Amino acid sequence: MGKWIRWWGLGVFVVVLGLMVAVWVLCVDRWIKELIEDVGTKAVGAKVELDAAKVTLVPAGLALTRLQVTDPKAPMTNAVEVARIRMGLDSLNLLGRKVIIEEMIVDGVRLGTPRTVSGAVVPTPPPRPEIEPSPRLTIPLPSVEVPDVKKILAEEDLETIRLIDSLNDDMTREREAWEKRLKELPGKEQVTGYRERIDAITKARKGGLEGVLGGVGEAQALKQDIEREIDSLRQARTEFENTLSLLRTRLKEVQTAPPRDIQRLQTKYNLSPQGLANVSQALLGPEIGNWVRTGTEWYERLKPFLVRARAAGAERTKADVQQPLRGKGVDVVFQEVDPLPDFLARTAKVSVSLEMGDLAGTIQNMTGDQPTLGKPMTFRFSGDRLTGVKSVSLDGTMNHVVPEDPKTLLDLQARGYILDHVSVSRDDRWPLVLKTGLGDVNMQVELKGRDLIASGAADLKNLQLSAGQPDDANRLTLALSSAVRDISQLSIQAHVKGTPEQYVVRVSSDLDRLVQDAVGKIVSDLAATFGADLQNALSKKIAEPMRQLQSRLSGLESISGELTNRLGRHADILKSLADKHLPAKGLKDLPGGLKLPF
Amino acid sequence: MIKLLARLLHVLNSETAPGQISLGVCLAMVAGLTPLLSLHNLFILLLVCVLRANLSAFLLGLALFTGFAYLLDPLFHHIGLALLTAPPLESFWTSRYQSVWWRLERFNNSIVMGSVVFSAVMFVPFLLVLNLLIRRYREYVLLWVQRTKVMQLIKASKLYRAYSSLSAWRHG
Repeated sequence: MGKWIRWWGLGVFVVVLGLMVAVWVLCVDRWIKELIEDVGTKAVGAKVELDAAKVTLVPAGLALTRLQVTDPKAPMTNAVEVARIRMGLDSLNLLGRKVIIEEMIVDGVRLGTPRTVSGAVVPTPPPRPEIEPSPRLTIPLPSVEVPDVKKILAEEDLETIRLIDSLNDDMTREREAWEKRLKELPGKEQVTGYRERIDAITKARKGGLEGVLGGVGEAQALKQDIEREIDSLRQARTEFENTLSLLRTRLKEVQTAPPRDIQRLQTKYNLSPQGLANVSQALLGPEIGNWVRTGTEWYERLKPFLVRARAAGAERTKADVQQPLRGKGVDVVFQEVDPLPDFLARTAKVSVSLEMGDLAGTIQNMTGDQPTLGKPMTFRFSGDRLTGVKSVSLDGTMNHVVPEDPKTLLDLQARGYILDHVSVSRDDRWPLVLKTGLGDVNMQVELKGRDLIASGAADLKNLQLSAGQPDDANRLTLALSSAVRDISQLSIQAHVKGTPEQYVVRVSSDLDRLVQDAVGKIVSDLAATFGADLQNALSKKIAEPMRQLQSRLSGLESISGELTNRLGRHADILKSLADKHLPAKGLKDLPGGLKLPF
Repeated sequence: MIKLLARLLHVLNSETAPGQISLGVCLAMVAGLTPLLSLHNLFILLLVCVLRANLSAFLLGLALFTGFAYLLDPLFHHIGLALLTAPPLESFWTSRYQSVWWRLERFNNSIVMGSVVFSAVMFVPFLLVLNLLIRRYREYVLLWVQRTKVMQLIKASKLYRAYSSLSAWRHG
């Protein structure tokens, strides 16, 4: 036995093991700190810094001090700064390479804190050139000046004039075409020819029985010629009547065009109160759109952490081979009896310090692998007696339990929000400011897959508004100012629908009706004056072209008379032929009163 | 290099039992071929310390087999993956997967599994072959080696003398 065992080796082993543990204990804090900074920096794309990390073995836990996460878009600002994070770790699961945190305390979360040195990890792109602020929060005010109608009519492309010109051209073309066709159609010359042929038949009958029988055949041929020409004349008359009917319809269309032109010009020159139908949309729509954009940006930033371990969290009914890494092999994942995600913080108690005061909240089931846990992440933050608002609460659920059908719900409530000089319209012509007031806001957001639906309502009360410029002399804006100055409460509703990338914001409020009522009469009066002026001027402008159109149409109607005359002459000659030379019933009665012997 | 060669020759030429040398080399094979920071290597270290395995042979073998391991990783990966994904073994691996200690061993990694199985299978045959080779070496080659000019040079070097004196001191 002694030949193969050296007992002092056991001591060496214990010493080596002790040295390894000592090195681990001495270095683990630094390793954890560097690991968090490295992984965080790679994930965020900007520096993530930690003042200190402290690992405790009994009980297993970790404490982090002053975590700074740089805003990648503003490297001199921290997107988030956390004073302290303390967490207790499940040591048994930690040995199994799973970080399971039963409770995490996150103290002193602050947003947008300044940095002393830049947190950029890649060179910051040069600042974009300043863009002129868009004229947002402006109101589509109608004009209060009656425009010069003569100038408008000279410059505008009027539908009435276009229709007149087009009809005029078509009438000229039709007239030319029908005059040419009249020449080709049978007329007086043909009638004269038939008369001569009838006379010839009459003479031939006097030459005996042979002449009589030959005359009957000639009369039948003549009859067929006349009838053929009558058919062509009838067809021509039908075609012409169709053309004429179409031209008459177009003339009626021309007569109805002026009111349409007048309506269009009234709208174009902003003399319709329609533009004021949704003032709320124009004033608040872009601002709400900005909030939605910011919200979706934050969601997209958080999303990778919610679906990070999606592959690992896939249904593990069978051994699952994960992505191979060169030189490191692959990990084959087997089904677990009681599966847990690789990272899970069951409860995180968070306190956030904002300018308005402190918010406290709880986040449940924080993990990047919800399918394995089978529960969604939920959170609830609230704050009372804050600066500028009586109470705020934010509840939400981010459900990625079924990765193919993710669902996020948010519910925000703010009570007693103090409005202090909130600019609603920055239009130079008519600025509108909510000087004082109180607001209650409710907002619900649902993001199901890529379908975004949000709705919100704000009830504003105890309002004091300031509207318009002090030296305003404009009738319209004066009327607007007078209407809104007395408003003491207001109700606003907003609806957002679409996808996070493309959505439509619809806003409505009491302001719409108030503004429309206030300016509606002024604008309607102005619009009536403008409309009457336009109608007079347009009537004068189109009077002569319309008379010409009527005249041309009358001229065309004469072609119809000519076709009727020709048909009449042909009918007469046919009748004459039938009377003189064609039997009324078969060949029993021959022309001239002769009787057949059988 | 000379240092390593001197060590090797010294070990081979010493009075150390062939079994101790080959045990040292075989334990080095397990530690060197498998990922060093694995739980089972703590056990190997314990064996190296407690059993009278030759430490020089172990250290030399460790350096040698660690180098080989990089070349053999693809083979280990294939062996490991084949074993881990073999349907008849799935229930066995699944039950092992529930244990924290097995998870800590990272048995479900293809290279860990492949290299552990490979070195375990090779352990006994390699031990026996190595024993035989050492005996044959001492019987037939040792005298010839000691007469070669290279060996004379090595023996004349200060380092070899130092080793010799150290060895004499340790065994004396």
